[in-house]
Amino acid sequence: MTCFEDFAVGDRMRHFRGSTIHEVEGQLLAKLVMNSAQGHFNEDIMSRTPFGQRIVFGLITASTVIGLATQDTAEDAIAELGLDRIRFRSPVVHGDTVYAATEVLETAPAPDRHDAGVVRFKHWGFKPDGTVVFEGERTVLLKRRNPPDQEIA
Amino acid sequence: MFGSSESAYQSEGTRDDATSVDPASFPLVERGNQYEDFAEGDSFAHHWGRTLTEGDATLFAALTLAYNPLYFNAEHARAEGHPDLVVHPLLALCTVVGLSVEDLSEAGGPFLGIDGVTFHRPVYPGDTLTASSVVVDRRESEKRPGDGIVTWRTEGRNQRGEVVVDLHRTNLVRKREATA
Repeated sequence: MTCFEDFAVGDRMRHFRGSTIHEVEGQLLAKLVMNSAQGHFNEDIMSRTPFGQRIVFGLITASTVIGLATQDTAEDAIAELGLDRIRFRSPVVHGDTVYAATEVLETAPAPDRHDAGVVRFKHWGFKPDGTVVFEGERTVLLKRRNPPDQEIA
Repeated sequence: MFGSSESAYQSEGTRDDATSVDPASFPLVERGNQYEDFAEGDSFAHHWGRTLTEGDATLFAALTLAYNPLYFNAEHARAEGHPDLVVHPLLALCTVVGLSVEDLSEAGGPFLGIDGVTFHRPVYPGDTLTASSVVVDRRESEKRPGDGIVTWRTEGRNQRGEVVVDLHRTNLVRKREATA
């Protein structure tokens, strides 16, 4: 179980699993979320560009990297609060495999509940050769394992 | 097979065959906006809206390995105080951005970044999201003279008009003069 107390600023981890992004992760999810940009699903058009092939919708890469990090950072999270500084450092194409790594940037009490805390993570997504494809910050509301006694108002 | 007079694709009584029409001569229905179409303060109510179903939610969570059972175990989600499965916030974000693509970024130019994403409230299966955007900044690209850089604030609302997610997105956007 992942709890607020499990994280300290500066903690780093590399996550166990990677994921190869193929048709069902790339073009299927781009279409599922109504992304109409055919660069994600028209191989003919993209074969005539410098990319040479379809590129994966960046937010699907982001979602996959955050997914790869989820069991270790938010398996029992109460809620995802937000994301920030999302950057796509190099393109991902169908067939690429991505891995995820994480650093804890900040921990803080939850402003409105004593049984939870807020952790801000930085995530990186990278290919097997180390090329960074994604980086971004993510803020999650996590349960406390040992909630302090009800705070005195 | 396509050129055969016995082709099953040729219906009786017509003279059409696979080469009697030249689709390339038909006018193209263009989609998307370019740099010149964006001025600071311009707003866009994006097309369609999208009802997120339980199937969408489960498929997205499974394919992105989102291993928090709130997103794929309804009993667990109910035990945690939700009425149903929770739609993964990243699916809500991807859908809101997806709905904005034709108006904002389809004409070309990669993502530069997304900042300040806030997930305001949960989305549940059956909720219908709509998206709208405002141009908050537009400037020339110093590195790429054929492109401009545009930043939009985009928000997604549910069927009750409540904001579920908002964000700032910045893209390179092709200039019309560069593609003419």
